Amino acid sequence: MPQTLEYVETNMSLSSASPWITLVWNDPVNLMSYVSYVFRSYFGYSHAEAERLMLQVHVDGRAVVATGSREEMERHVEALHDFGLWATLTKADA
Amino acid sequence: MKRFDRDTEGRLTAAADGDEIAVIQTLAAQVADLVTSGTQADPAITRLLPDAYRDDAEASAEFRRFTTGALTERKVRNATAVIRSLDDAANSGIITLDGEAVQAWLRTLTDIRLTIAVRLNIATEDDEAGSDIDPMMRDIYDWLGFIQNSLVEALDA
Repeated sequence: MPQTLEYVETNMSLSSASPWITLVWNDPVNLMSYVSYVFRSYFGYSHAEAERLMLQVHVDGRAVVATGSREEMERHVEALHDFGLWATLTKADA
Repeated sequence: MKRFDRDTEGRLTAAADGDEIAVIQTLAAQVADLVTSGTQADPAITRLLPDAYRDDAEASAEFRRFTTGALTERKVRNATAVIRSLDDAANSGIITLDGEAVQAWLRTLTDIRLTIAVRLNIATEDDEAGSDIDPMMRDIYDWLGFIQNSLVEALDA
């Protein structure tokens, strides 16, 4: 049985060869301090990384905040909508 | 209303007068009402519950089907928690928030500000739009931003 489990896990990681990404988009409402706080408290990013991503959102209009399976990215998008951030997911190569 | 500070037990506290308490309670109740009764024809609803896929209406609709119920329920619960913490503050004049209440406040203040921004057509950070249309609502929008920022800073302190 352990072999079967290992096989399934390997297979799953192979099937996500084309990963999905979660994007956060700039909006005129959310405070920079709050966006940075959400990146730290939800994703566990360091202060420096959260600030970098927040500034990327602010300056470039968007930033990739997570990469992984479609299901994982949907969970992130739902959580970010709960925080009131404007988040979407898409295929990494789209 | 002054900024939030951390008390000796780790809770966040701020003084508030009766008018301030009433304003936040009214807006929190309105947001709870909006998310439960609003439709996607209302741009405030599509901002509070935005499309999860930018270029795939079908996938966005599917995502909504699975998430809108839970997200709406959480938004109402957060607004209710904010209203309750302000009920508690009515006599003492001091708002006292534990960790869970702080999370409800952060989210409800965001939902209120997002809704006001849609109503006032605020489209950029420096946008002074809305100040002519409804200067009082614009002041409230900025004031709620000040409160939210002070919550984040007090959490980080």
